[in-house]
Amino acid sequence: MARTQSRKTVEVDPITLSVVRGILETTQREMTLSLEKTARSSVFNLAHDYSTALFNHRPEMILQGQDIPIHLGSLIPAMKVVAKYFEGDIHEGDLIIHNDPAWGGSHAIDTCFYKPVFWKGKLKYWTVCKGHLTDVGGPVPAGYNPNAREIYAECLRIPPVKVWDRGSPRKDVLNFILTNMRARRDQEGDFNALIGACQVGERALLAMLEKYGEVQVDACIDRLLDMAERQMRSLIASVPDGTYEGAAILEDAGHGYGDIEIRAKVTIAGDSCHIAISSPPQIPYFINSYEGNSHSGVYLGLMMFAQLPPPYNEGLYRCVSVDFGPKGTICNAAEPAPHMNCTTTPMETLTDAVRLAFEKAVPSKVSASWGHANGLNIAGWDKRHDEEYVTMVLATIISGAGATPSQDGWHACGPECCFGALTSGDVELLEYSYPIIIHRYSLMTDSGGAGKFRGGSGTAWEVEPLNADMTFITFGEGRRIPAVGAAGAVSTLIDTKVGRLELVEGDHAETFRENIIKVIRPGNRITNMNPGGGGYGNPMDRAVEKVVWDVKNNLVSIDGAREDYGVIITDPATLHVDIKATEELRARRRAALAAN
Amino acid sequence: MRSDYRLGIDAGGTFTDFVLADRTGQVRLFKALSTPQDPTQAIRNGLALISEELGVPAERVVSNCDLCINGTTVGLNALITHKGAKTGLICTAGHEDSLEIRLGHKEDGFRYDADYPPATMLVPRYLRRGVRERVLSDGSVREPLNEADVRAACELFRAEGVETVAISFVWSVLHPEHERRAGEILREMLPGVVLTLGSELYPQVREYTRTSTAVVNAYLAPIMKRYVEAVDSYFRGLGARQPVRYFQSNGGLAVGQAMTDRSVYAINSGPASAPAAGQYVCEPFGYRNVITLDMGGTSFDITLTRDGSTNINKNIDFLRYRIGVPMIQVETLGAGGGSIGWIDDMGLLQVGPQSAGSDPGPACYGQGGKLPTVSDANLVLGYLNADGLVGGRLPLDAAKAHQAIKSNLADPLGMSVERAAYGMITIVNANMVNGIRRVTVERGYDPRDFVLVGAGGATAAHITALAAAMGIDTIVLPKLASGLCAFGQISSDVKYNYMATAPLRLDNDAAYARIDELFTQIEAEGIAHLKGDGFKAGHIVTKRSLDMRYVGQVHECTVEIGTFRVDARSIGKVRDAFHARHRELYTYAEPASTVEVVNIESTLYGLVDKPARMSIGKGLSPRRALKGHREAVFSADGRRIRTPIYDGTPLGADAVIRGPAVIEEVTTTIVIEPGWTARLDASGSYLITRDRKGAR
Repeated sequence: MARTQSRKTVEVDPITLSVVRGILETTQREMTLSLEKTARSSVFNLAHDYSTALFNHRPEMILQGQDIPIHLGSLIPAMKVVAKYFEGDIHEGDLIIHNDPAWGGSHAIDTCFYKPVFWKGKLKYWTVCKGHLTDVGGPVPAGYNPNAREIYAECLRIPPVKVWDRGSPRKDVLNFILTNMRARRDQEGDFNALIGACQVGERALLAMLEKYGEVQVDACIDRLLDMAERQMRSLIASVPDGTYEGAAILEDAGHGYGDIEIRAKVTIAGDSCHIAISSPPQIPYFINSYEGNSHSGVYLGLMMFAQLPPPYNEGLYRCVSVDFGPKGTICNAAEPAPHMNCTTTPMETLTDAVRLAFEKAVPSKVSASWGHANGLNIAGWDKRHDEEYVTMVLATIISGAGATPSQDGWHACGPECCFGALTSGDVELLEYSYPIIIHRYSLMTDSGGAGKFRGGSGTAWEVEPLNADMTFITFGEGRRIPAVGAAGAVSTLIDTKVGRLELVEGDHAETFRENIIKVIRPGNRITNMNPGGGGYGNPMDRAVEKVVWDVKNNLVSIDGAREDYGVIITDPATLHVDIKATEELRARRRAALAAN
Repeated sequence: MRSDYRLGIDAGGTFTDFVLADRTGQVRLFKALSTPQDPTQAIRNGLALISEELGVPAERVVSNCDLCINGTTVGLNALITHKGAKTGLICTAGHEDSLEIRLGHKEDGFRYDADYPPATMLVPRYLRRGVRERVLSDGSVREPLNEADVRAACELFRAEGVETVAISFVWSVLHPEHERRAGEILREMLPGVVLTLGSELYPQVREYTRTSTAVVNAYLAPIMKRYVEAVDSYFRGLGARQPVRYFQSNGGLAVGQAMTDRSVYAINSGPASAPAAGQYVCEPFGYRNVITLDMGGTSFDITLTRDGSTNINKNIDFLRYRIGVPMIQVETLGAGGGSIGWIDDMGLLQVGPQSAGSDPGPACYGQGGKLPTVSDANLVLGYLNADGLVGGRLPLDAAKAHQAIKSNLADPLGMSVERAAYGMITIVNANMVNGIRRVTVERGYDPRDFVLVGAGGATAAHITALAAAMGIDTIVLPKLASGLCAFGQISSDVKYNYMATAPLRLDNDAAYARIDELFTQIEAEGIAHLKGDGFKAGHIVTKRSLDMRYVGQVHECTVEIGTFRVDARSIGKVRDAFHARHRELYTYAEPASTVEVVNIESTLYGLVDKPARMSIGKGLSPRRALKGHREAVFSADGRRIRTPIYDGTPLGADAVIRGPAVIEEVTTTIVIEPGWTARLDASGSYLITRDRKGAR
């Protein structure tokens, strides 16, 4: 990663430094709030699938929001590509749009606006907002096309393009872009929301310069970057020098190329860290990840180890270098690789590989993996208003969180790539916005990974179209391989811990574990199930009372208590435990685990 | 019958404040230690103090009051400590877990924190029982209520000893009959159990919010019921003429029965009275845009009122529980006199949110506290009097304050103690300024259009600096600042919120008629309620608001409208108000887009006579009230300036004091920075204004 030397000539007032940091955080918060409140698509306003960030003129990320982790790592390379493309041609009142992964973006449905902020005629900052639109053109609604063999079959690709030029909107360009998208009214509203949020950020940054002066503010921001660098360096320095390897398997979710192994090699030398990724050659399926997106996957794995509190900036990553492997591989894709699923798949497996390498380095600190995303997009005609609808259903990707060295994983908090930043949306608001009936949105028995600390429960989302056919597209994985536990956690019941899709059409029921596009009619139902999180520690060490409490709450079944935890409940009404038989069974299981 | 007094009792974390206002405008402030184990005990203790001071029995005081008003933390404490009643939930089958899924979100600030625990469930999963029934988004019944399922749930609750039950179904807000029928069955099977219906308590769209609100209400209802019964009967026993009025988080008063039925309205009662107090003390000056700041020992509360209407929060997480019903927006920060200064992992000076509390307290209290707090900094900087707070009852140790700041902050940062202390104040002020942004800029308001009102004992030391940082020129600081919330409660009106939901696009006459009909309907209900409380028509006031958005948006913004008839002629006013508000908040509007209404709300006020105003007569001039001088610091370089110290108690009306100066009142110390001038108004408040450039 490029390292920029900070200027250290101006003396920084430590008090102003704290104040400037607070203003940057508040500014980003105001941008995020504005975006949430004004957006049209449920993916933004209900699900919070957006992120905002501030960059300086160089451009380095000076404040990373606490929004979706997967967006933010990728904003760093994307911002640099955009600034470089327009180098020498950036003016006050410009506004740039961009989504393309080959130009540093993550996946093309995440569309980003970049607003250069000028002060006294000089470029000072960029306010940046990125969000997951409900549609980005292409042959399949909502952008995810499991049948795409090239990126051209996925979406409208937008390289960096100015949509405002020195203050005047380029209506022709905006019209060209929107004309290529489904549910235009929603996309147009979301553009307004993204642009509004950039302006909200600009307003606050200019007020900060006005009040504290350019020289002092610049010096403070440089100092904040340096301090973040020091913080990460001291954390890395606490890890013993050496090379640690992690590997995770990405299951074949229907492409036919078999399971894929992604490996991460973490080398710690003093206070720096080098992460080398290796993955097989890219495939003609929508799970390839371009470099920008892979940045996020690696950073998230690093943060699962570092666990730093906010605020975050680019200084954190100065001591971290990353090699994504040769161009043309799954984690370093090249045109024309299709990619739309990449923010979850293979990202979450890449994150797992990195966190597993760190687990080897610092076994007592690293949490278990979270459930991976396997979700639904839906589209069709809304007869109530005689209009088209299309959306990703974020409720369908809410998985269980991994257990940590100190506690059970949170229920319904994932997927891993979002780390609790998403929200699933209220059932009534979803039914109001789309012609659907949500019959069930619940936790799932036995879905949390077994461990001394149990993984969080995954979720099941059951839906029926209200009054017209509905197209649904499934994406992601985690329907065969459960979330990876930590510190010796192992589950015996596997099938209840992974995701899947169940379709019920009259008397016919079918389970799907690969990505498909299908149409269902009113009266029929699908249930999308999302995996639980991984456990932490040996499940035979989980206190019997905790297992019984989980059984009482039907988070663990009586079978699950026996199979996963070695706890034998003899009476389903009173939940009486046969202590002696339990101790014997647990002893046998412990021995068997130790032998493995 | 003529009454002499009005009594306000505001329970806080440490102290319960009592204000007794009489007809002459005299207001007395008493404090008794709070007794969370038995909240009525503090009330008895406080009344004993009052009766001792006045030399008359408590019965005489109480029976001589036109009203006794109580702000209580009973509900809040039960929620904080998770000591509510054993609660069951009956909900639509398939949706038992919305309460625990919590929209699948983990709060910001804890993204990578492996130790941050999930929220404690107020109803564990096995007591959340789904029943078969379903209403659709158009209000039609897809599946009728399965009564056998309801009975089975009741059997379980009986076996488990459940005391209180919430019933909340999907889309019940459009078809409440299923909830009502389930409620009938429950009343018949479990007559002793307290019942909350989601569609009655919070008739608005959003299943999770409604269910969670109903559950919090159910969880607190038995606790509030016991409390209210105890207080009511105690005051009845003392000969109170009127039922006790309780203060609600919506900023208004309610009788005990309303507090029992709608316990969720009780949870943030204390600080919610600040806006009423702020407006009351600003009235003599004609200010209508008011920000109140209340800094105590551990926290800093901010509220905002613009042109007589106060910022309201709806559908927010409060103590990690989603609450739908309107509450006064009280932005609370961990910034008080006890907030600790520390150096973070990155080497940055920080202040709070950790607090030294009252035990061990700030280093200067000399009770064993070693860590530097905001109070220590205020003492080092010369703002506070080492002779002590609370009229000399608590002497302060300047050497200990100095040492705490030196060893923990000044030495590690390589700066003088004065600079470090000034830095602490600058940072805690900056934190407060960021908090003030949340009630102003985030709500689309420019802070410079407001005056600040100081409340709480610690605010007055910071208020000129805060005003300067926000670009605010005018401050109103009442002598009673430290008891201002209790005072706000006795100058408040009775207030009930009535809501309805009506997702309607504003493009047809039928929609306008429906909105008008709903307003009329809920207001009739509210007026009947207030008349039942004894209000006459002339003392009832109605305010209306609509939650609106552009079609396709999901979050609404609340827009106040007048009480005109809603029809094709007036609808333009409604739409324009929405466009304007959207622009204020988010920098743009979409005048060509269709607007829709989601929720409808009427707020009904029963007007209560205000207590007589304080009146300061001729007293001492500043020259004669001068107590002496202290060396105080007013700049980042730590330079000390000789600063006059005044005794505020004997000052007469219209006394003018120019900064730098410190005015010591009995329960608060006011710091007037250079560039500011204070004038004591006859109404008992200091009006502190920024000097115009060149005036000095």
